[in-house]
Amino acid sequence: MSAGPAPSAPGGVRARGRAEAGLLRRRWGESTLLPRSLMVFLSLSRWIRSRGPDRYWRHQEVLQHARHFRGRKNRCYSLAVRAVRRAFFYSTKAKKLKKRNMRMLWISRIAAGSREHGLKYPALISNLIKCQVELNRKVLADLAIYEPKTFKSLAALAKRRREEGFSNALGDGSEPTGIFSRIVHSD
Amino acid sequence: MGVRGGFPPDGFRCRTGSKMSSFTKAAQQWASFSRMWYLIDAKMQPPGKIAAMCSVRLQGKHKPIYHALSDCGDHVVVVNTRHIAFSGNKWEQKVYSSHSGYPGGFKQVTAAQLHQKDPIAIVKLAIYGMLPRNLSRRTMMQRLHLFPDEIIPDEILKNLVEELPQPRQVPRRLNEYTREEINAFPRLWTPPDDYRMK
Repeated sequence: MSAGPAPSAPGGVRARGRAEAGLLRRRWGESTLLPRSLMVFLSLSRWIRSRGPDRYWRHQEVLQHARHFRGRKNRCYSLAVRAVRRAFFYSTKAKKLKKRNMRMLWISRIAAGSREHGLKYPALISNLIKCQVELNRKVLADLAIYEPKTFKSLAALAKRRREEGFSNALGDGSEPTGIFSRIVHSD
Repeated sequence: MGVRGGFPPDGFRCRTGSKMSSFTKAAQQWASFSRMWYLIDAKMQPPGKIAAMCSVRLQGKHKPIYHALSDCGDHVVVVNTRHIAFSGNKWEQKVYSSHSGYPGGFKQVTAAQLHQKDPIAIVKLAIYGMLPRNLSRRTMMQRLHLFPDEIIPDEILKNLVEELPQPRQVPRRLNEYTREEINAFPRLWTPPDDYRMK
């Protein structure tokens, strides 16, 4: 479209006829319909204005996130916008809750596994820390499920360390200190 | 409905294979999600302790594969609920309240009266109160089987796998000790000859 008039560039446009000159002097936003007597170029396409060519795709961007919702909010944009916004709020809040929930789940699983071996969860964890076994709860829970013998040996270690701790606290000196309760310095 | 803030239950991942890439296809134990049947004898036991053990097993919290959504609870059969033993004066002091919904329908019953009327009710209410307050509670209560005496139906008897140890060690009565054991017990003091025993 080389010969199209550009209202926003008043300087460098070739004004062909009085109609187009009138068009150029108009401010932005005014109606561009002129009386028929003044019109020189009468093409219909100049009269049909496209308000925004990409509404469909802007709506699709939102609706794609709502496709698995229930009811009209998976189809109708105005309802979907609100539902999708809430869904995003919940999703960001849940990122913090997920960490808490996962940790609680790991702890209950480790507690179940250690009770099978005769130890309670606080005893297991504190005595493993005292033995300098720095396994986190995620790993311990996975071991309790998939590596039962490893978990059993960890429980036995914790039990032994616990008994040594009791004898150190109650025995007072005469018996030799235990093996696992010796402090190991990493130099 | 929308984006769930939770996570898929880990239990469902066990079946499909290893969860972590470092474990090379952990051995699939196809029976891991089977339901066990446990037996508990409540004779001379405190109902609260019995209820605690039962609720743990009904929820599945005794298993390392526990998840609230994986329905991993087991069946529990409690026997001899008629012979439970409250400590202290709870038979007279503990009160079970209920309201029928109609005006003037508030009823308060002592533990002794309730036990007289229904020998199962005390243990059942204790377990019901210890389960989590969600929709799975009713299904867990359906997996609980209470019997006032030792008589159990055959279908349930055939399913039982393990008997759990009793939480309370029942002390022996004086008439259950033999003469030799009583004589062998160390004496703390010998009464003088003119001491009058009441």
